[in-house]
Amino acid sequence: MTSSATRRRAASLLVYARTMALFVVAWYAIARWTANPVLLPTPLAALDAVVELARSRELFEHAAISLGRMVVSLCIAASLAIPLGLWMGLDRRLDALVDPLVELLRPISGIAWIPLALFIFGIGNALPVFIMTYAAFFPILVGTVAGVRTVDRRLVDAARTMGVPRNRIVMRVVVPAALPALLVALRLGVATSWTAVVAAELIGAPSGVGYAVEWYRGLLMTPQVMAFIATIGVLGYATDTLIRSLTHAFTPWAADPERAS
Amino acid sequence: VNAIGPRVALGAVLPLSLIAIWQAWGMAQPNPRVPLPTRVVDAAFAMTASGDLPMAILQSLGRVFAGFAIAALLAIPLGLAMGRSRAVERNVDPLVESFRPIAAIAILPLAILWFGTGTPAALMIVTYAAFFPIVLNTIAGAKRVNPTLVAAAATMGVSRWTTLRTVIVPAALPSIFVGLRIGLGVAWTAIVAAELAVGAKAGGGGSGGIGQMMFIFYAYSIELNRIVVCMIAVGLVALLLDRLLRALLRRLLPWTHA
Repeated sequence: MTSSATRRRAASLLVYARTMALFVVAWYAIARWTANPVLLPTPLAALDAVVELARSRELFEHAAISLGRMVVSLCIAASLAIPLGLWMGLDRRLDALVDPLVELLRPISGIAWIPLALFIFGIGNALPVFIMTYAAFFPILVGTVAGVRTVDRRLVDAARTMGVPRNRIVMRVVVPAALPALLVALRLGVATSWTAVVAAELIGAPSGVGYAVEWYRGLLMTPQVMAFIATIGVLGYATDTLIRSLTHAFTPWAADPERAS
Repeated sequence: VNAIGPRVALGAVLPLSLIAIWQAWGMAQPNPRVPLPTRVVDAAFAMTASGDLPMAILQSLGRVFAGFAIAALLAIPLGLAMGRSRAVERNVDPLVESFRPIAAIAILPLAILWFGTGTPAALMIVTYAAFFPIVLNTIAGAKRVNPTLVAAAATMGVSRWTTLRTVIVPAALPSIFVGLRIGLGVAWTAIVAAELAVGAKAGGGGSGGIGQMMFIFYAYSIELNRIVVCMIAVGLVALLLDRLLRALLRRLLPWTHA
């Protein structure tokens, strides 16, 4: 890294630190002024709560549970949506058959399924996993179909002319060409499923970060509530960054997708 | 017309057969609570005739529009400032990026602590949810303004304020509209989640809306058919809001393709 790049990095880090410091100072001042530790604890109290929850490992346990649910649901959603999306993108007839059903179900958000799913699955692991799978399924499917559609027809035709079998065309031509779009779709799926899991855990799960936020709210332990809210933000950011760096590693030729969600 | 006929017919096959299977499966169940397509239709008529469903939807929509308006009033000026001024962007961006990954619904317990289980807590969630898509798309739109136009305005001695009003905002408008459309969709999802959670945590003594209605059908009167009606209503409203904004966009900004 050149020295000017290093300096620019340091400068932007400084600006970041300055903004966040201002925010924390403002928070502290308002907390002091309202003087109500249940409504608004000071940043120090919130930090204490984070340290304490981390030391008792409670923070990590809930985080691991939620992340585990997300990984399971994403795997289910991706293994259903990606093959179906590839097929729908390649086969017009299948698309005409399935697309209306998708468009009928898609506007019903995962969160709207919570009461019915609560009735079917009860409170436990199955409910958040179902809600997250449902929430992640549609962005991945729609993105995959769109990605396959953008694949250059000439590449597919060229492969076909040379007698490449259909399966190999899909694996060697269509999937690599659609990969950038596929990873963007996956990223959207992660974001929507993370929002859905918090809602699902808040209402109907005995564990996880969403549950923990609501549990400490019930106990009026606001610093702990804030600690878990921050955890939700950090985990959301971390998973998004992970997918972004995967995108960068797998498809270095594709432009970094613009940040507009 | 002839060309789309078979496509529509093909598209209807799967939903219709699924409904038929659901009906057949449900009629074979001994439990009378099992939701059935025919019972769902009956429930939909009953709920509409009694006015309960339209009332709940209107209540939720009112909150969505109020929260959405607050979010737009905050996010569009901020986004324009961030998109046009490097200094503003550098200083404010850390805050936006720090709060953006926090799912709106995660704020709900805090909102309940601060505002109780009434409308203000729901408004806060909706505003928070809609804020980020609007601000990000406004920034992107303000940045994409053709610099030649801005330079031309500056050369002709147009004031900064007039440039903003007559050059930058019109050029950024398509992108702002995309943000508004996404924001409205997110806001609708958020209000359903917020009302559900409030219903779940306030023991039914909350503040109404479609989300809470669903929770009451789940927890108190166990009417699955009515829950399905609410789910369909949630989906329909989401679809209508999206179509409405798209139509508005085409009407107001006919030169963009969105």
